[in-house]
Amino acid sequence: MNKFKSAVLYECSTKIKAMCAFYLIEYAIVAISFAMAAVSSGGAETYSNGLEFCSVFFVSVIGVLGYEEDFKALIQNGYTRKYIYLSTICMFLFLSVTMALIDTTIGNTIHYFNSNYFTFFGSIYGYGNPLGNWLWLTVLYLLFCCLFYLGVLVIRKAGKMVSLFIGVGLCGVVIIVISLFRFVISHETAQSIAEFLMKAMGFMGDGSVNLLFPIITLLTMAIVLGAGSYAIIRRTELK
Amino acid sequence: MNAIEIKNITKRYKNVTALDNVSFSFELGKIYGLLGRNGAGKTTLINIIANRIFPDCGEVLIDGIPARENMTVHGKIFCMSEADLYDKDLKVKEHFKWTNRFYDEFDLNKAFKLSEKFNLDTNKRFKALSKGYQSIFKLIIALSLNVPYVIFDEPVLGLDANHRELFYSLLLKELETGERTLIIATHLIEEVSNIIEEVVLIDNGKFLLQKSVEELLETGYSVSGFAKEVDRYCEGRNVIGYDELGSMKIAYISGEKPALPQGSNLQITAMNLQKLFVKLTEKGGGENE
Repeated sequence: MNKFKSAVLYECSTKIKAMCAFYLIEYAIVAISFAMAAVSSGGAETYSNGLEFCSVFFVSVIGVLGYEEDFKALIQNGYTRKYIYLSTICMFLFLSVTMALIDTTIGNTIHYFNSNYFTFFGSIYGYGNPLGNWLWLTVLYLLFCCLFYLGVLVIRKAGKMVSLFIGVGLCGVVIIVISLFRFVISHETAQSIAEFLMKAMGFMGDGSVNLLFPIITLLTMAIVLGAGSYAIIRRTELK
Repeated sequence: MNAIEIKNITKRYKNVTALDNVSFSFELGKIYGLLGRNGAGKTTLINIIANRIFPDCGEVLIDGIPARENMTVHGKIFCMSEADLYDKDLKVKEHFKWTNRFYDEFDLNKAFKLSEKFNLDTNKRFKALSKGYQSIFKLIIALSLNVPYVIFDEPVLGLDANHRELFYSLLLKELETGERTLIIATHLIEEVSNIIEEVVLIDNGKFLLQKSVEELLETGYSVSGFAKEVDRYCEGRNVIGYDELGSMKIAYISGEKPALPQGSNLQITAMNLQKLFVKLTEKGGGENE
């Protein structure tokens, strides 16, 4: 257990510096951009919304680095793949929770003082539920961490060519699904599928919003991707 | 049993068989030389022992416990590898701090003392170190860990003669202090020949032999003289190789060293480990070929 704790600490501490640098740069740019917007529009516009997208990009990069750097370092120090995987997931959780908290706090504060700024969550689900905002962002970030972690594991395992074919195959699947909806599936079936997906994202039939559903949906997707990552990493060899 | 047991290990990469049904064991408390030519399968074997790659068949047991994906077992073994597996952005002292967290058996003070001996700047980041100092950094970690099994894969890569001497002397000191198994995989055979007790020879992915250095050196000798005389002497003997220079010839022979016939112009000399290694692997076969 002590050794596991050390691995989690190692993974988290090596990412904290990067996270601090990311926020420092992001908010420095945002401050300049807000100042310029305030001067040009007399404070009516911010010209920057949904700063959480930058965090999504950052956690995606962390998802890739979660394998690239830490796998090697931990296997050098006698860790098994199971422990490496678990410590990486803990690191993803830590980063997602922390960054979601920062983004929720700062995003809502900016919106409070300038209603022309819209947070990613607020523009979809509205404002007034900071806890829901935080949880939703946490699972969203976790989902992207797991998605890119799985992606890099697949690329490493299968090689570049096979990964390229998988990518092309996935594009093909998207086109087929769209075609199915447009030309094969009946309008009623397509409608009910769309309704189900809307409910999964929290938009109920009566026009109300249920935040629990999107959180569960995103979390389920993250768990599926995480399980896929484990299935690959347990067979991964050092190259 | 306190040992690293390698049982019928086979590892293939597409059409190449890196290791072919290799079986032997490293006993506790000895210092081994794991020798073999480039591509012989040494690093592949080390990577399998260290759980970095998996064998296609066979298994590795450490103290009788299967080593595959076993945290208990991998706390007993450390592998200093040629490949750079450390975070390049961390400082040397930070790496020491983390190793100290990862292993209960890590001696942090010793690591800093050794850094001073090797003139390693612990405030430098790993990526800022020269190739030689990167090797030194890895050596210091391996030497500061009091685990029962330590494997060194090409430990003196990029080290100058002074640092190599210092490393060998520290290695000998290590052996005096406790019962540990040290395995050195290297090409610099003559440098380690005075340190290692036992030799494991791998060639083309196959296990060739495992013998003590003394025993191995006793099994081989060289005969030099005029080619005709040497050829006559070699008849019926197990010759593992020849070197020729003009009319002079040297034959490397495996087997007991007999007395020379009276009046013979031939000279018999003991073979050194490197020469024996070269001749055994040059032929590509076993010692009895």
